[in-house]
Amino acid sequence: MEGNTNFVSIDWTLLFQWGNLLILYLIVKHFLFSPIQKMIAQRQNEVKAIYDDAEKAQQDAMQMKEEYTRHLENAKDEANEILKNANKKAVLRSEEIIREAQEKAQNIVSRADVQIEMEKRRAFEEVKKDISDIALLAASKVVERELSSEEHQKLIGEFIDHVGDC
Amino acid sequence: MLERAIVLGASAVGAGIAMIAGLGPGIGQGFAAGKGCEAVGRQPEAQSDITRTMLLGCAVAESTGIYSLVIALILIFMNPLVNML
Amino acid sequence: MEGPKIIFTIPLLGGIPVTETVVNSWFIILAVFIACRLITRRLQKVPSGVQVLAEKYVTMVCKLVDDTMGKNKQRYAPYIGTVFLFSALGSLISLLGCRAVTADLNTTLSWALVTFVMTQWGGIRTKGLLSWLKGFLDPVPVMLPMNIMSELVNPISLSFRHFGNISAGMVITMLIYSGLAALTNIVFQGLLPVPIFQLGLPAILSIYFDVFSGVLQAFIFCMLTMVFVGMATDP
Repeated sequence: MEGNTNFVSIDWTLLFQWGNLLILYLIVKHFLFSPIQKMIAQRQNEVKAIYDDAEKAQQDAMQMKEEYTRHLENAKDEANEILKNANKKAVLRSEEIIREAQEKAQNIVSRADVQIEMEKRRAFEEVKKDISDIALLAASKVVERELSSEEHQKLIGEFIDHVGDC
Repeated sequence: MLERAIVLGASAVGAGIAMIAGLGPGIGQGFAAGKGCEAVGRQPEAQSDITRTMLLGCAVAESTGIYSLVIALILIFMNPLVNML
Repeated sequence: MEGPKIIFTIPLLGGIPVTETVVNSWFIILAVFIACRLITRRLQKVPSGVQVLAEKYVTMVCKLVDDTMGKNKQRYAPYIGTVFLFSALGSLISLLGCRAVTADLNTTLSWALVTFVMTQWGGIRTKGLLSWLKGFLDPVPVMLPMNIMSELVNPISLSFRHFGNISAGMVITMLIYSGLAALTNIVFQGLLPVPIFQLGLPAILSIYFDVFSGVLQAFIFCMLTMVFVGMATDP
């Protein structure tokens, strides 16, 4: 049957359009909405997982950094300690060295003093002896007189002592 | 035949008169659109909300015009008065 | 002004006419089916091309349902998406020279009746039968006929709004075409077999009547459906 329906009419087309709406609804629901919503949910989960991972990684990194900082601080402290110790030791050692050196120098000086004293005494003895000998010789030569050597010696010694005192 | 012609002509005139009701929604919707423009000018960040609300209000305000259109269409295409003869 | 053409008749119950509207709807269904299959057969994690558009459409409809109807109404989203797609494509098919599906009262009335049934059924389900019935006596029992009337008038205004807009656009376009043809005839005294003035002007009008009006009416239809159903199912 060819022809047209009325411009404004209600006929079988209404039922057809219900069927068409139902078909299109099923198509849109099953082939457009559910797969895309599923995909979006999947993507959301994935992105969430990625973000969680990133957060976790950041936390780990933070923790590690803290640890490292702490280690570094410790190391610095230790180094300071070591340095202080070394300084102290060095100071002690240097003081010791200086003291030793001073002691040694003192020793040397005192020994030198003793030696000088001894030398002086020996020289003095020698000079005294020489002088006494010379005096004795001169006296014996000048005075041809029998004189006991001991008396002479004593006499001269007294004289020299007197001289030495002056 | 003459009666039929008179009824048909009167129906056409009636349809034309019915469509005078189109004035109302026209004025009303123009008013709503103007207010909408003002609102957008005052609050440009709410433009989408304003547009949606305005369209909805316009659609509801259009109802009277639609009723007149229905009557005009019925008068022209269904000719209920002719069938009464 | 004539209604849609009858393409063929099913020889049942004294002949069921299948009109242009129905056949065009089948074309739309076929196109949507093919497009959906092509898009969602190979969905990618990183979307590209039409997949972006499809995802945008789905999320937009879901967001609109969320905004207009409230939370926990996401199960209505596919229906709203379907009606919008059907309505918009049904109006836009007139750009291809076919008769718009929505320029037939049967189409819009069938959708409006579905909305009506959804609204009432949602009201009964959320409020319970008794309080739903009591709702018609608000605020005073005298208002009963008014309340019933306002419910019944909803599908009529919904369907006639959509149908009226699209078919009025179609009628005006047709009038302009025939007017331009007559103008060509007058100017060239019937010497030109081609109505040359029909070039250009109808295209500009078609942008308003077919594209803008069609999409807008589809949007308004969906919006009103969402508002009605949302209001009825609000606890």
